[in-house]
Amino acid sequence: MKNIIISILLLIPFFTFSQIDRSIRPEPGPAPQINIADAQSFTLNNGLQVFVVENSKLPTVSFSFIFDYDPLLENELCGLSDITGQMLKTGTKNRTKEQIDDAIDFIGASISTSSGSLYASALSKHTDILVEIIADILINAKFTQEELDKIKTQTISGLASSKNSPEEILERLRKKLVYGNNHPYGQSPTEETINNIELDDCINFYTTYFRPNISYLAVVGDVRIDVIKPILERYLGLWEKKEVPTHTYETPQAPTQTRVAIVDRPASVQSSIAVAFPVTLKPGTPEAIRARVMNGILGGGSARLFYNLRETHGFTYGAYSSLSTDKLIGNFNASTDVRNSATDSAVREILYEINRISNEPVGLEELNLHKNELAGGFALSLESPSTIARFALSIAQYNLPADYYKNYLRNLDAINATDVLTSATNLLSPDNAYIIVVGKADEIADKLKNFSSDGQINYYDEEGNWYDPALKITPAPAGMTAEIVIENYINAIGGRSRLSKMKDISLKYTALIQGMSVNFDIYQKSPNKMRIEIAASGMIFSKQVFDGEKGISEVPMTGQKEELEDDQLESMRYQATMNMELNYAQYGVNLVLLGIENINEKPAYKIQLTYPNGDETFDYYDVQSGLKIRSISESGQTEYAEYKAFKKILFPTIMTQELQGQNLQLELQTVGINKKLKDDFFKTN
Amino acid sequence: MNRKLLFTLVLITSLAGTLRAQRISFEEYNMPNGMHVILHQDNTTPIVAVTITYHVGSKNENPNRTGFAHFMEHLMFEGSENIGRGEFFKIAQNAGGQINAYTSHDKTFYYELLPSNQLELGLWMESERLLHLVIDSIGVETQRSVVKEERSARYDNQPYGSVIEEIFVRAYTNHPYKWLPIGSAQYIDQATLQEFQEFHSTYYVPQNATLCIAGDIDVAKTKELINKYFADIPRGRNTIERPNIVEPPLGREIRDTIFDNIQLPAVIQAYRIPANGTDDAYALSMLTNIMSQGESSRMYKSIVDQQQKAVAVFSFPFPLEDPGLFLVFGIANMGVSAVELEQAINVEIEKVLTEGLTDREFQKAQNMVEADFINGLSSVATIADKLADYHTFFNDANLINTEIEKYRRVTPQDIQRVARTYLVENNRVVLHYLPKQQ
Repeated sequence: MKNIIISILLLIPFFTFSQIDRSIRPEPGPAPQINIADAQSFTLNNGLQVFVVENSKLPTVSFSFIFDYDPLLENELCGLSDITGQMLKTGTKNRTKEQIDDAIDFIGASISTSSGSLYASALSKHTDILVEIIADILINAKFTQEELDKIKTQTISGLASSKNSPEEILERLRKKLVYGNNHPYGQSPTEETINNIELDDCINFYTTYFRPNISYLAVVGDVRIDVIKPILERYLGLWEKKEVPTHTYETPQAPTQTRVAIVDRPASVQSSIAVAFPVTLKPGTPEAIRARVMNGILGGGSARLFYNLRETHGFTYGAYSSLSTDKLIGNFNASTDVRNSATDSAVREILYEINRISNEPVGLEELNLHKNELAGGFALSLESPSTIARFALSIAQYNLPADYYKNYLRNLDAINATDVLTSATNLLSPDNAYIIVVGKADEIADKLKNFSSDGQINYYDEEGNWYDPALKITPAPAGMTAEIVIENYINAIGGRSRLSKMKDISLKYTALIQGMSVNFDIYQKSPNKMRIEIAASGMIFSKQVFDGEKGISEVPMTGQKEELEDDQLESMRYQATMNMELNYAQYGVNLVLLGIENINEKPAYKIQLTYPNGDETFDYYDVQSGLKIRSISESGQTEYAEYKAFKKILFPTIMTQELQGQNLQLELQTVGINKKLKDDFFKTN
Repeated sequence: MNRKLLFTLVLITSLAGTLRAQRISFEEYNMPNGMHVILHQDNTTPIVAVTITYHVGSKNENPNRTGFAHFMEHLMFEGSENIGRGEFFKIAQNAGGQINAYTSHDKTFYYELLPSNQLELGLWMESERLLHLVIDSIGVETQRSVVKEERSARYDNQPYGSVIEEIFVRAYTNHPYKWLPIGSAQYIDQATLQEFQEFHSTYYVPQNATLCIAGDIDVAKTKELINKYFADIPRGRNTIERPNIVEPPLGREIRDTIFDNIQLPAVIQAYRIPANGTDDAYALSMLTNIMSQGESSRMYKSIVDQQQKAVAVFSFPFPLEDPGLFLVFGIANMGVSAVELEQAINVEIEKVLTEGLTDREFQKAQNMVEADFINGLSSVATIADKLADYHTFFNDANLINTEIEKYRRVTPQDIQRVARTYLVENNRVVLHYLPKQQ
């Protein structure tokens, strides 16, 4: 009975509340004060900049290092910085790998190292020993062949494994297309580049780049600056400073027109899609905050892409976009995974949303929604004390105003619809994008052609290498190597000794262009001089000369003349080299025999040539005759046919050049060998 | 008077005794409609986590309606009587917050992480979808497609993505753990609107819910707000199905080979073990520390580092309310076969069975447990999730402070004993994942 009374009484207070009108959305209380604590900082004598955020809520501490050297173009050693970063933890002058691992695990700590960072955390009672281990790793790293071999094997296994992961395949190709082969962000390691890495490379890398004077350290947690400072001085003070080389790169550009790239994965039940291009967006600029809001509206979370592709169409589990800032070059990337049959529709909707945000001003309600979301996210991030450290690091690393983060919310609040529209117009380029799809080509390719400006689809393999899908490649017979294919070619056209006696050469071709006969005169002189003249009706309208060092490109009729630089100059140097195929190794050209493909229904060896500057060419050699019949590079495709002997050396008398979708047929008229061409003839000034 | 009576139901955890900095204080009580409330106040940052845990997961499903609990999680974002379709996300965003959910074998968890002045908004949203969720054909159709794509993205189109599903379907014959929360699309396609509504009115009821709020709150005011939005939500009338199926011991080794779109072979072993929260489960968890946590762990050091037979190898007990699984998962290095890798794994298991562990290893495992325990308290969102879990599964939210004692009671002999008891051949499922022939 008593129980019943109690339960009746219990119900009473609730009745008074039961009259609420649930259709009214509750108003927020007064906005809470957002306090952004300051990090304290000091610099060690060796130049290491240290930021300390004291926070004793939990008895833990973390140490986060950034080694802020310029990104490196690793080329044939691609993967070197990653491997060196991993090697850091594999031995010191005082400890074996086993001892390092045991010391870390025993105190329940963790330490991870990478190419550009070291992160360590532990309970704060272990601070002293943790700093000692970190310093030992950074200062006394000892690299051994045994550990390098292990890491190389692991990395190569990982690369093999990644060939089955749609995200990793997509990511690799996206980087390559967006940034290009000649930018540090565009390169990815391959089995071959990993194999190229030697112990000395790692040691050099470590002694060159892991230096305190270009590094930052954030200490966060249950520490006091007056206690931690002497500990850091004692252990990390011994880390020697040294000048670190700097590097600059050409800024990658968006493609001149929208291109479609497919990686065929016949087993796929879903297409992984990216619409991507590079953007110039530096961290900490007013433009970066505007871009953040703009991307928030487009695809940063529950936004237009998500609602369109997931909630309206049910194509996908998620669809998002990102817009990254970077000191060198940032990027835009809209991505999603959709069922095969929805692939083209999903691409269409992504492009539609990119166009919409670039053309229509955003409504106030939607704008405020995303501004509120970003402001809230900023506030939520402050729960983690490492956020304060991250702020301090960014201010130092990117030279931001000291009050950048304190003013962040105010600057965010000031952004209006015009800012968003301007940001979208400036940064988004749906007509100059890469549309990249990893999926089942059979089911998706045809419908994707419409999105490509030239109606073409480019195919790439899992490693991001371009190929022609019409040509199926089969493995070359065992024992066959690229070197043998080249040697057979040399023998077929006249032999090594005859070729090496060729000191200069003059080739005259003619071609019909729009009914007009055009002359192409090509002169070469050993070791690497070249002159090309293109003339019609006795008038030279293009001239290119390389004198062994400098190269020019001239249009005599207009007097226009420019000196070739960088990539163009390098490419010209390779073209100008006489008989390079006699000794590819000497010029640092890397050869890989990829297999056999049918060219015009005849089997041909396909060889991949990688030049020291990263340029790639694919050459095809007829299996039967040994002659080179096709060459494909970024600039286009050339076919060689009708070889004829001139002074016992074979030359192709028909060269068909594919130029911007048109075929240009060059017919060889005369060949001059050893005409004693003067050096003056190759002058560039 | 009434107030005082109410407080008799309130349990205030004692702050006396061995108080440490990381001790989590909280209040908890039952509302008359059966909803359990847990409040943890921490005013250091002006944010609040509003969470509801429903004690329903895939194990409550009918075998020909698998995927229902997870599908319901998707429907819970579709709209309610006062919140339009798709508005849940937008309201949370507009408040500067985050909103999400997840479904496991045993529970479904919903949360909003909000600036603390938006506490009431979070309570309103959660009460809306508990009290009168709108389940209509438009929402169901949309989410049918979305969930199919989720399944493809997470399981079917991922290398090794099917591992957990293939293991569970073999490790259990009767118990509903034999399917995963993602379930089968066909059953969702077959289900009627009414079945979804029925599922909601059975499991999404106050007496099956734990409302846990952690962060920058005023406890008295928060209680008032909770009453305002939840007190008049009626107790559910349907019987809540809780499977009490006891899975018989495996009694033999089950072995299979699966061909997948992968490059490197993989070996997966799954040993049947007791439920989460049992003494043996704590010992098995510490065994994992020794076997595979960190690079000094036995399996990493021997198989990955010294013998280089694997690119990765790890073990972990799959945390489940009913008796669960201890998983060992290894991915072979290039040129190493699944058979070779499995032999190397078996050697390490055999070694711990026969030789036990060293004093230093035991001390290391204890240190790791301590560090993991403290690191698990780093945000109000994880604290809320843990408090609700401890209440839902063990009826003891204070385990957040005392569970570590259960680990401390584990002896080296216990660890060897559980290894000997459970990590044996006739108690396991073994799968070899091999590359499909191209």
